[in-house]
Amino acid sequence: MNAPALSDVKSATSHVKPNMLISGTFVTRDLARTRRMCEGLLGLECVEPEKGVLLIRERGHRAGEKLAGQPYWVLEAREVTDVAVPQEMLNHWGVFVSSQAAVDEAYEKINAQQKEFGLGRVQKPRFRHGSYAFYFVDGDSNWWEIEYRTPELVYTAIRAKGDQC
Amino acid sequence: MSQTASLVNPELLSHGTLECNDIPATRRFLTEFLGIDVVRPLPEAQYLWKGGPWSVVCVCVEGEQKEQGPQNRFKLAVSTAAEVDAAHAAAEKHKETYGIRKVEKLEDRGGVRSFRLQDMNKVWWEIANLSQKYYDDAFAKGDVTQ
Repeated sequence: MNAPALSDVKSATSHVKPNMLISGTFVTRDLARTRRMCEGLLGLECVEPEKGVLLIRERGHRAGEKLAGQPYWVLEAREVTDVAVPQEMLNHWGVFVSSQAAVDEAYEKINAQQKEFGLGRVQKPRFRHGSYAFYFVDGDSNWWEIEYRTPELVYTAIRAKGDQC
Repeated sequence: MSQTASLVNPELLSHGTLECNDIPATRRFLTEFLGIDVVRPLPEAQYLWKGGPWSVVCVCVEGEQKEQGPQNRFKLAVSTAAEVDAAHAAAEKHKETYGIRKVEKLEDRGGVRSFRLQDMNKVWWEIANLSQKYYDDAFAKGDVTQ
């Protein structure tokens, strides 16, 4: 049964009426190390709006760039002395890359520079539910996924199909 | 650092994840209470979104979910401080209905009103009167070194 997915509009009946799922947050014991990883490894844009806080988004949203004016999701990292709740693989952050080959290339590069970025385990790429991806864990137990999805499996396409279960 | 200098050149900061062990009850909380859009493409997962191409993937697990701390949370933007207040009142009123475990006090910081709650899956959410402009301005301003 292909029931329509719930629509992407402000709900008239829900108790909270959000405009946007705007951010996710995590912690690090070394903000500079996290920034090096987000910029130098993951290719993301970072800024420190206050001491001990790092904002992260995909590149391209500055004025005149290709994504200028389009919505984006932000990760907020906060520096702490200790990571009170270590994360596990099922709690991760992900980025999409453009091809299966890009996943393989990313794996080779990241695996080769694991120590330089202070990473823990770097898993090998594999197919799962039609996506091709691998995971790695950073020096603060935060897990990250590098993923390629075919066009029919990107989130907007899945939303258009509606529930499949 | 230029984009070409990074090891990976992603197209999208695409997703985060959370765990649940009761997909229907979790979906009811997400849609009826939080007002998030949900689709279930797989028996073991539902995808959450609101306002953009990124998603939060909710993975069904057996047994107890991991207890998360409030510093690992997802943030929902609403339009006004009054909407934050209304959401807080609703969270207190409907705690039992939706299995909300904790509702923290309202806070004001830098012109942003917010509060945090922990849901039935031990996942933390923040409701805040933010907009994309808040982050646009932060990125445009650049690093604050002091």
